[in-house]
Amino acid sequence: MKIPVELWVRLKVMDLVAQTARITLAEKLNFADRLRGITRYWYWGMEAEGADEKNIVEEIDRAIRLDGAFTNQNKHLYRLAALGGPARGDLALEKDLSLAGGTAAGGGNLYAFDCLVREKRPDREIGFTERLNARIKGVTVSGMKHGEVWRLVVSASSEKAALADVERMLVSRSRREGLLLNPHYQQYEIIAATRVEAGKPAAGARGKE
Amino acid sequence: MKSSMKGRVAIIQFPGVNCEYESADAVRSIGLEAGIFRWNEDPALLDDCAGIILPGGFSYQDRIRAGVVAAKDRIMDSVSELARRGKPVLGICNGAQVLVESGLIPGIHWEKVDLALAPNVMADREGYYCAWVHLRKEKGGCLWTRRYFDGEIFPIPIAHAEGRFVTEDERVLAEMKSRGQIALRYCDPAGVVVDSFPVNPNGSVDSIAGVSNVEGNVLAMMPHPERSTWLRQVPEDIGGQWGRSRRAAAGEAARMEDEGPGRRFFAALREGKGVDAR
Repeated sequence: MKIPVELWVRLKVMDLVAQTARITLAEKLNFADRLRGITRYWYWGMEAEGADEKNIVEEIDRAIRLDGAFTNQNKHLYRLAALGGPARGDLALEKDLSLAGGTAAGGGNLYAFDCLVREKRPDREIGFTERLNARIKGVTVSGMKHGEVWRLVVSASSEKAALADVERMLVSRSRREGLLLNPHYQQYEIIAATRVEAGKPAAGARGKE
Repeated sequence: MKSSMKGRVAIIQFPGVNCEYESADAVRSIGLEAGIFRWNEDPALLDDCAGIILPGGFSYQDRIRAGVVAAKDRIMDSVSELARRGKPVLGICNGAQVLVESGLIPGIHWEKVDLALAPNVMADREGYYCAWVHLRKEKGGCLWTRRYFDGEIFPIPIAHAEGRFVTEDERVLAEMKSRGQIALRYCDPAGVVVDSFPVNPNGSVDSIAGVSNVEGNVLAMMPHPERSTWLRQVPEDIGGQWGRSRRAAAGEAARMEDEGPGRRFFAALREGKGVDAR
């Protein structure tokens, strides 16, 4: 069988890169009143072919736990799962999201967008595919997508307005606009969008934590 | 502490840069005064400086993307305005990344990000690459390269992981070429542009090593002229005239202090025009 598998990784400690992004977006690019939270993850998404889902996930888990190119358990939390299946690892994405909840400024709503930023050239994704396939047995991965996911939580009157702000935060079009990717060699896609309710578990769960 | 930059070349010290002192030394080597200018000093003090250098290093620890956080800094408001008014501005390595992320380079559309300095693309390796390479001075109106003659070939060190000039917009590349903004290209020791590793050490489009703005007063270059300002900095085993000079000077302390191949970038700041032919 062939199934989609995702690996999410983030730091156990405070992520100073994400903090720098938050400060730059808030103080230098004037998003202070709308940007309510920012979290950064490393992301690998792939198609995996093997005997069954349990075997596929266990085999990839065994490999990535031993390979610091994917995760280093001294400093990372990770979550590995087939789409909709049980997760392995100790990273709870839903908990991250509910922690982002708070009071939206000006009576607006809070929206969270998971934005995958990847390089346009596939070299690194090819490299990760080869690296993983060399370390797993009875399972083959393909269709690798690798990059950073920026989870941006914004306050806005509507999801459409929130998405417009997120796009302005993402794409560096000029010195005064955009930060998180340079469109001349990087691209992005929104892989999840969620309305966040303060103090409640977030809706739109991605698999079981 | 405020430091007057009147008549001096200001070396902008963002958090994380590490080439500011050697850049200042390189400026002093041609008889000009240089001062280290912290990113959070009063930018009005830059108004009467003789020129601005954004040095190499890792501004803001290369967080998010090399050069992008410094590019959004408030001091760059002043650098941008002074550059627009004709002040000479040189970005070396990380400084080049700041200028590209600021949109001052190529500056066809002022402050619009028309280029990237993307991760190196190299045969059978990735990441950081450090080596001496050769440059060819291209024809154009760049102030910073005016003391080299068109087609001059010289060795210079590079040290970077994100030095690949690239643009999505073919029209930008065509316009840069037609306006003579491509100031420097990687080439082999004979001056032939070979668009593959290691002659082109990072996969830059068109083997570009340095780009100026339209007016020519701003230059972003990935190689390090401050690390090739004195003859003693040139490796003994390098070919060509510079290698011969370096080997001939071995053991003679005074001759080792002679000019190296990168000094004329800084000498361009001295008044007067023309080529200092060696």
